[in-house]
Amino acid sequence: MNRIFDRYAGVAFLLVGAAFVWESRKIGESSYGSNVGPDIFPMGLGILLILLSARLLYETLRGRMTDAASGEKPRLDYKRFGILVGAALLYAYFLEDIGYVLGTFLFLLLGFQVIERGRWLVSLLVSALFSFGVYYLFVQVLEGTLPGFPSWMNLG
Amino acid sequence: METLQFLADGFASALQWQNLLFAFVGVLIGTAVGVLPGIGPMSGVALLIPVTATLTSGQDPASAATSAIILLAGVYYGAMYGGSTTSILLNTPGESSSVVTTLDGYQMARQGRAGAALSIAAIGSFVAGIVALVALVLLAKPLSEVAIKFGPAEYFSLMLLGLAAVSGLAGKSMTKALIMTVLGLLLATIGMDNVSGVARFTYNVPVLYSGLEFLTVAVGLFALGEVFKTVLHRDYGGGEIIKVGRVLPTRQDLKESAGPIARGSLLGFFIGVLPGAGATLASFFSYIMEKKLSRNPEKFGKGAIAGVAAPESANNAASGGAMIPLLTLGIPGSGTTAILMGALIMYNVQPGPLLFEDHPGVAWGLIASMFIGNLMLLVLNMPLVKVFAKIIETPPKYLLPIIIAISVFGVYAVQYTTFDLLLLIGCGIAGYFLAQNDYPLAPLVLGLVLGPMIENNMRRALTASNGDFSIFLTKPISLAFLLVAVLWLLVPLLLKLRGKKVIINEEA
Repeated sequence: MNRIFDRYAGVAFLLVGAAFVWESRKIGESSYGSNVGPDIFPMGLGILLILLSARLLYETLRGRMTDAASGEKPRLDYKRFGILVGAALLYAYFLEDIGYVLGTFLFLLLGFQVIERGRWLVSLLVSALFSFGVYYLFVQVLEGTLPGFPSWMNLG
Repeated sequence: METLQFLADGFASALQWQNLLFAFVGVLIGTAVGVLPGIGPMSGVALLIPVTATLTSGQDPASAATSAIILLAGVYYGAMYGGSTTSILLNTPGESSSVVTTLDGYQMARQGRAGAALSIAAIGSFVAGIVALVALVLLAKPLSEVAIKFGPAEYFSLMLLGLAAVSGLAGKSMTKALIMTVLGLLLATIGMDNVSGVARFTYNVPVLYSGLEFLTVAVGLFALGEVFKTVLHRDYGGGEIIKVGRVLPTRQDLKESAGPIARGSLLGFFIGVLPGAGATLASFFSYIMEKKLSRNPEKFGKGAIAGVAAPESANNAASGGAMIPLLTLGIPGSGTTAILMGALIMYNVQPGPLLFEDHPGVAWGLIASMFIGNLMLLVLNMPLVKVFAKIIETPPKYLLPIIIAISVFGVYAVQYTTFDLLLLIGCGIAGYFLAQNDYPLAPLVLGLVLGPMIENNMRRALTASNGDFSIFLTKPISLAFLLVAVLWLLVPLLLKLRGKKVIINEEA
């Protein structure tokens, strides 16, 4: 897996480097008097990144098979990971719409249950305590701003 | 004498009640963070930056910066200490710098001497912290006076040296480490160019104008990356925890560990000052050294107290030593110090030689609070060892989602954009896959923090020389830095070519 990842990563980094070089050619003209414009640094780095990823690709192509074959890969828990990342994305994306308290409560409850089913009462309590607690401390005590509740709930 | 006066002022500021509280909270959280599986010093410090930002929001900028950095530094060395607890009780190191501690610490615990091992680790860390502190006080002023004479060319080369040192020693493949460094530097160019005011790589997306926020990237890469790893690998711990038992070490224990603690502190400090080396290497070297010096080396690995005392002192001394290049030169030598530096910059405090002139309160307040923090660490840890041992048992079921929630809260409370939250999660996923495939993350963060400064200094130097790149080679100090940087990259490569095993710094 390591070598395959390295190969893809090498290509990806190569493309990133190329993109930075290509795009930094567009910035150049707008520089003022100095002949060292804002394009030089990213362009140089882009070239460096291309060279380094070429080197990485070279290393993986003539790579030692021993690395890839050694050791058995543990079976990864993509299901829990997927659900957790999905939930986190939804939580992040809708945070401003559904408010901090509700969003955090739902996210935590789901997170707890995804990692280990059961003990609903504890899960409910911990998520409620955390979401209300953080909101109360931050907004009331420290006078910060967070989107508290969705606007249709008229709770503030 | 002037230094003493500043130090006294520093103590006055560190002894203010709110700063005492911040130091206490920092050390407490830090120890907990070090003990908890899954969060190390780096993610701990990164996670707490936004929390401290809100805690200090009521104060004026200078004292807010002082309080914040006092808390964060407390987390840093608290975590260094906390990591040893799991090494000793569980045989699983909390972070890589306490890997060596497992060798003898766990054996001691199995012989029923867990308490002695834990308390000797605390005493060693305390002594080491004090040694590092004294050296810091002695070196800070002269070093920053040298550094203040540096022009942009020297600075550029010095920062390159810092990057080269961290990349040369981080991770298994130098190619990968260098790629991460360059990537970090490139990501730092996104946003408004602060020399010419030109927007770069923003494509008219408003959130990109201020650039990628370092905090978001760091929290994502380290904290979320670790959470995702734990979930994917079903790494929920669950080892058997050994009872602590009698806490105080015996007189014999103390006698046997006095030498190792002194030697470990000194060695650790000097390794810590070197950029890129850091706590992990320090603990390895001091363990090897003690084994060589010992009259009965066969006891090592079977529960020798020197095998706990030396590496634990060394890794704490190294984290103190790492503060020197950060505070005097503005060059972070490791991932955690890079994060601390990012935090200082968030408060508009620029670490570097000018720090001692512009913000003496911050610099000396931090130094003084490190002393107080170390004292607290000792006072806190001796009686509370058993409580911290309980923290290990926090069920990961609750811990993991809460870490995600704290990350989201922290980033949102500072940035107020959904974009940063999505970037945070993206960085978490990227952080997991990169770290899993031996791409070290610390160089990336270092590049991101140093990027704007490197570019500024490079362009100022080049503007002065009319675009002639040879300015970096004709100035002697700059040339020396560049040569050392090249050597730092070449020597490990040459050693590897000759088939030697190179000790690398996994934690960075």
